[in-house]
Amino acid sequence: MVLRLKDLSVGDALPSLDRIVIARDVKAYADAGGDQNPLHQDDAFARSAGFDGIVAHGMFTMGHMAACLTRWAGEEATVTRISAQFRSPVYMDDRITAGGRIRKIDREARSVTVELWVTLERDGALEFPIKRGEATIHVPLPG
Amino acid sequence: MLSREDGGASVPGVNRAAEGTRYPEVSFELSPERVAAFREIFGQPHGVPPTLATAAEFAVFPSVIGDPTLALDFTRVIHGGQEYEYVRPLVEGETLSVRARIESIRVRGGNGFLTVAMDLLGADGRIAATARSTLIERTPD
Repeated sequence: MVLRLKDLSVGDALPSLDRIVIARDVKAYADAGGDQNPLHQDDAFARSAGFDGIVAHGMFTMGHMAACLTRWAGEEATVTRISAQFRSPVYMDDRITAGGRIRKIDREARSVTVELWVTLERDGALEFPIKRGEATIHVPLPG
Repeated sequence: MLSREDGGASVPGVNRAAEGTRYPEVSFELSPERVAAFREIFGQPHGVPPTLATAAEFAVFPSVIGDPTLALDFTRVIHGGQEYEYVRPLVEGETLSVRARIESIRVRGGNGFLTVAMDLLGADGRIAATARSTLIERTPD
């Protein structure tokens, strides 16, 4: 899929992306990303730190948010900036949903800024593991 | 031994005088194996996933976390926020030099907010990307 500026408008939604967070994937992430903090692997340690169990890395959740962005942006576009604020914990077996919408389009600079977020539902309430995520991509000329 | 009487006393751990500290440059290889692992975990079929720069940060974090001058209690630290700015896309297989500095240390509501900035430089000596991590050292209950 190739993203074309002429097809985009401010307010357009990015296709949302779901995943269920499981311990095996979080461990694989710890090995690939290098963050071996026991908070993300050891249930007893996480509980002693005041959490309800093993917590996914903020960067695991941000990696999922980035996947939502790059799947939409396609192979040609490049990410020039991406940011996130981590607001609430993601536990094992939680279903997280990444989403976003276009905030700004600079057609001259060929850049598109999107707001991004990651949500989950807990006890009937919507939580934001990532709030105020943002990214800017550069869309090259077609062809 | 640095005094913590000036400002640092309100937070039991982090030493505000450590703002501006720079750490020795560390080299980090963006190995194809690591790129493949990230792609698989996040289901990304192409390119270098934009958050992979975190692995370069973790090549340096042990020096930051273990810095006795900074006096961070890592058992009380949570990741508050993260930002990556790319001057150019990272290239699979390249070796980056990682230069870390403590950009700011602030205290709000009894918690310490620490921003660690890292420049990732390519073989040409130019900055390819800058990573900013906000770490929050929570006040003990």
